[in-house]
Amino acid sequence: MKKMWLIGLNTFRESMRKKTLYIILIFALIVIGASKLFSFLTAEEELKMIKDVSFSAIEFFGALMAIFGSLYAISTEIERRTIYTLLTKPIRRSDFVLGKFFGVSMIVLINFILMTVFFIGLLFFKKSPPDLQVFKTLLLIFFELILISGITLALGTFTSDAFNIICSFFLYIVGHLTSYGKELVERTENIIVRGLTDMLYTLVPNYENFNIRDKIVVGLNVSWGYVGWTILYGILYLCIALYIALYFFEKREI
Amino acid sequence: MAIIETKNLTKHYILGKRKVVVGLEKVNLEVNEGEIFGILGPNGSGKTTCLKLLLGILFPTAGEAYIMGKPPHDVDMKKHVGFLPENPYYYDYLTGPELLQFYASLFSLEAQTAKKRIDQLLELVDLHNAKRLHLKHYSKGMLERIGLAASLINDPEILILDEPTTGLDPIGCRDTRNLLLQLKQQGKTILLSSHFLSEVERVCDRIAIFHRGYLLALGTLDGLNSQYQATNLEDLFVKTISSFDNQEAAKTGDVT
Repeated sequence: MKKMWLIGLNTFRESMRKKTLYIILIFALIVIGASKLFSFLTAEEELKMIKDVSFSAIEFFGALMAIFGSLYAISTEIERRTIYTLLTKPIRRSDFVLGKFFGVSMIVLINFILMTVFFIGLLFFKKSPPDLQVFKTLLLIFFELILISGITLALGTFTSDAFNIICSFFLYIVGHLTSYGKELVERTENIIVRGLTDMLYTLVPNYENFNIRDKIVVGLNVSWGYVGWTILYGILYLCIALYIALYFFEKREI
Repeated sequence: MAIIETKNLTKHYILGKRKVVVGLEKVNLEVNEGEIFGILGPNGSGKTTCLKLLLGILFPTAGEAYIMGKPPHDVDMKKHVGFLPENPYYYDYLTGPELLQFYASLFSLEAQTAKKRIDQLLELVDLHNAKRLHLKHYSKGMLERIGLAASLINDPEILILDEPTTGLDPIGCRDTRNLLLQLKQQGKTILLSSHFLSEVERVCDRIAIFHRGYLLALGTLDGLNSQYQATNLEDLFVKTISSFDNQEAAKTGDVT
């Protein structure tokens, strides 16, 4: 556990030096800040707009950070050959992979906190302190981001960076569309199309489960039960992703 | 007593659908406790492949490898091994002491022991004056020296060095040579891969010559010189390599 933590900390320190993550963070803050520009709307509509834009920005830019942070976590170590000095130390390959995941999760968490603090600051500025529903939305967004990190890291154990980035974005997009796709396909009677859709729906995590912002923004309440089950759903997919990462990395020659 | 051992160790690289490249072919080696053992060979001869297989970075196609009687993936065994890769790269945002501290933590060294060891090693590799310098500002020779220090952080019983003098100036080479002899006196076992015949000639108790993945010669320098009627290591090296190439050429009918 200690070695996993050391690898994680090292990953975190190294990633914090990457300019890409700062650029994404700056864009995110600009977009969140820009939501305040809708001052021509009524106060209530403006607040809705701030929440909607901010949740979307935190989710989208957070996903970019999760993908770019995880993408190079393992491949850079291999490319620079620093991995030789690690794997020849008394650490297990599983320590290395899980340490990398922890490191990337820390990056995602720090950036997520920065974006959240900025967003909440904006709400306070508008004299509308965040309620519990806002925090539920943010909690689910955070778990979605962690899941995205885990999946990108897993792909990185057996694919090239180029293929990984394509796959990760593909899964991100498909993961947000599967439930719409499933609804559409249910209208068809073609067994093959239905079968394929069902397979895709099962294999690809449904990221829309983590999206409750549309309800929260219009003032609806989401139960803790739903939040809990969705987190469990995310953890299940995360465990599968990490298992795949460990399986392939154990067999990988460097 | 053999502390490092390989039995028919084989590594084939599969390139494309039909092409198989021999990385290492049925290599049997025994490195005895307390000796300096040199692996020699031209580029692509299988030296690094052999070291990577011993350390569990690559997996063998066939055969076995053992260090202290343990297989390469054994975590406990690695507590007793130090490794210096060829042309080492490190986390360039760290300073020398930070890098050594990081590796010391991976060996679970206590803070005080680690601090003492880091100071000793920086002194030993003559980098004590560059404590605040980040590794990105290190020269090639300095990187090689910090790598050597990193490989010694756990005070290993076995030291595996892949081209340790690459990038070092003549004084650095001499210092490394003296350090290896000093470590040998302390009872360490050293497995060393190198291009530099003169270095190997001066420090190694026994040598192995690799070429195209095959182990061509193994023994003491004197023994091999007399076996191959060679006058020195360079002569021995050329004779074994040419003899193998000629035999291979004869097999394919391309005699030179």
